[in-house]
Amino acid sequence: MAVFRFAALCYAAILLLTYHRQYSRPWLGVVVLAGMLGWSIVTAVAYADPGRRRWPLLGVDLFITLLSLLASSWVIPRDMLRHGSPTLPMAWVAGGVLAWAIAGGRRWGVFAVFLVGVVDLTLRGSITATTLNGTVLLLLAAFCIGYMIKVAGEAEARMQRATELEAATRERERLARGIHDSVLQVLALVQRRGTELGGEAAELGRLAGEQEATLRALVGVTPFRTSEGSCDLRSFLSPFASATVTIASPATAVPLPCATAAEISAAVGAALDNVVQHTPPGTRAWVLVEDEPDTIVVTVRDDGPGIAPGRLAEAAAAGRLGISQSVRGRLRDLGGAVAITTTPGEGTEVELRVPRKLP
Amino acid sequence: MTAPVRVLVVDDHPMWREGVARDLTEAGYEVIAAVGDGTQAVRVGRSLRPDVVVLDLQLPDLSGVEVITALCADQSPWRILVLSASGEQQDVLDAVKAGATGYLIKSAGREEFLEAVRRTADGDAVFTPGLAGLVLGEYRRLATAPASDAPVLTDRETEVLRLVAKGLSYKQIAERLVLSPRTVQNHVQNTLGKLQLHNRVELVRYALERGLDS
Repeated sequence: MAVFRFAALCYAAILLLTYHRQYSRPWLGVVVLAGMLGWSIVTAVAYADPGRRRWPLLGVDLFITLLSLLASSWVIPRDMLRHGSPTLPMAWVAGGVLAWAIAGGRRWGVFAVFLVGVVDLTLRGSITATTLNGTVLLLLAAFCIGYMIKVAGEAEARMQRATELEAATRERERLARGIHDSVLQVLALVQRRGTELGGEAAELGRLAGEQEATLRALVGVTPFRTSEGSCDLRSFLSPFASATVTIASPATAVPLPCATAAEISAAVGAALDNVVQHTPPGTRAWVLVEDEPDTIVVTVRDDGPGIAPGRLAEAAAAGRLGISQSVRGRLRDLGGAVAITTTPGEGTEVELRVPRKLP
Repeated sequence: MTAPVRVLVVDDHPMWREGVARDLTEAGYEVIAAVGDGTQAVRVGRSLRPDVVVLDLQLPDLSGVEVITALCADQSPWRILVLSASGEQQDVLDAVKAGATGYLIKSAGREEFLEAVRRTADGDAVFTPGLAGLVLGEYRRLATAPASDAPVLTDRETEVLRLVAKGLSYKQIAERLVLSPRTVQNHVQNTLGKLQLHNRVELVRYALERGLDS
């Protein structure tokens, strides 16, 4: 901005030098130009501090700009102005207008152009092609700059949010590492020694083991959302991990639309609840996540006694919904399929297949 | 009587280090050293040549992966069992690709741990369901990558890995697929071998591209 003001000032000075013979009061022109120089310096310093880019300064800025424009009527003869001669400050008026556009956006920029246009009109007495041309150009510039500032401001705000998020994630990772290096190790150790000692210590060990699994899932460093705005299925399933439930998944994110990931997670939760309800305590379960090119396959297997043939259909027929409704229903909504395989004595396997629809 | 298996224990947590060393000694292993950081692990490992390295992935100086890479740089077959308290999956996968032959979560019981060390000493790969899931995922990732020389799994290997990932024991898998447990073990081993070979080729290629061979 400051650079523009000084460049425009040079232009105004050249104009004054060229036309001073035809002007009615060239000495006043020099005074006005000196004032413009002074004000250019003041604004260059004042606008450098973001805290001062407020209405008092902006108001004074536009006022002085209009004043310099008005001063033209005492310096330049009316006839010349009427015939489209350049005003005294010429392009310099744009400085104040653009400052308004930058600080206040499109609307205030346009308002400033309007004020300048009105003063210009009163100077010249009638609308000439030059005035109109100048005003339209100024209007365009103010409008564009106002718009660009708005876009830039939004981009900066978004950047700020992203940076904050990143900082939060990093802090979380730092905490996770800390917990990982100390608490988890000790809990795992207590679990191990406790189990070896037996009796009451074994019970303590078991509790420590459960806490360890919970804490590990909690501080897991898998981010919830991936960069493309979809969700990582792994982050939905990792909370299911416990002393009896093992999650196996790829090392890289499994991106899915968030709603799909949540539905799959709910279906897995229902299948795991089913394991708890229908198998003896201590039955272990495994969840395998596979990311195939066009399908997501999630398998929940347990090593319980299995389901006798016909039991599922029987349960559904008797109005007990359980696995049929909550798992099959959810998968049907996602356009997927459920396959349940069970062998008495060898556990049950629930395989969920969901077609990958790119978000 | 055969000489006892010589083990190097690397863990930065003193209580863990002692606990693991005691368990191993009680089970008849010879713990030749128990160290707490990666630099020491590489130095001691190279000079003492243990039969088995039990390695924690979380170390204060070098990462577990760097230790494995440094040890395996001499091209001889190292037997490294990785212990990790975390589910830091990428770390585990990287460790296995760099040359670790087994992985066990730290909360595994004493018996499970000793069994894993025994199998590592025998030269068998020690897979948990979690590791099988990671390896499956890695092969799928490589399959979608543009490189044409990426390793692929045979149908049988995929089948075996999926069953391992679903928590079946080698014995159960062998029964289900009508194979011998040894064959199941070999399939698992192969999946790891191909991945490690690919990793080494990639490292060499990377070095050549960067002109580090000169």
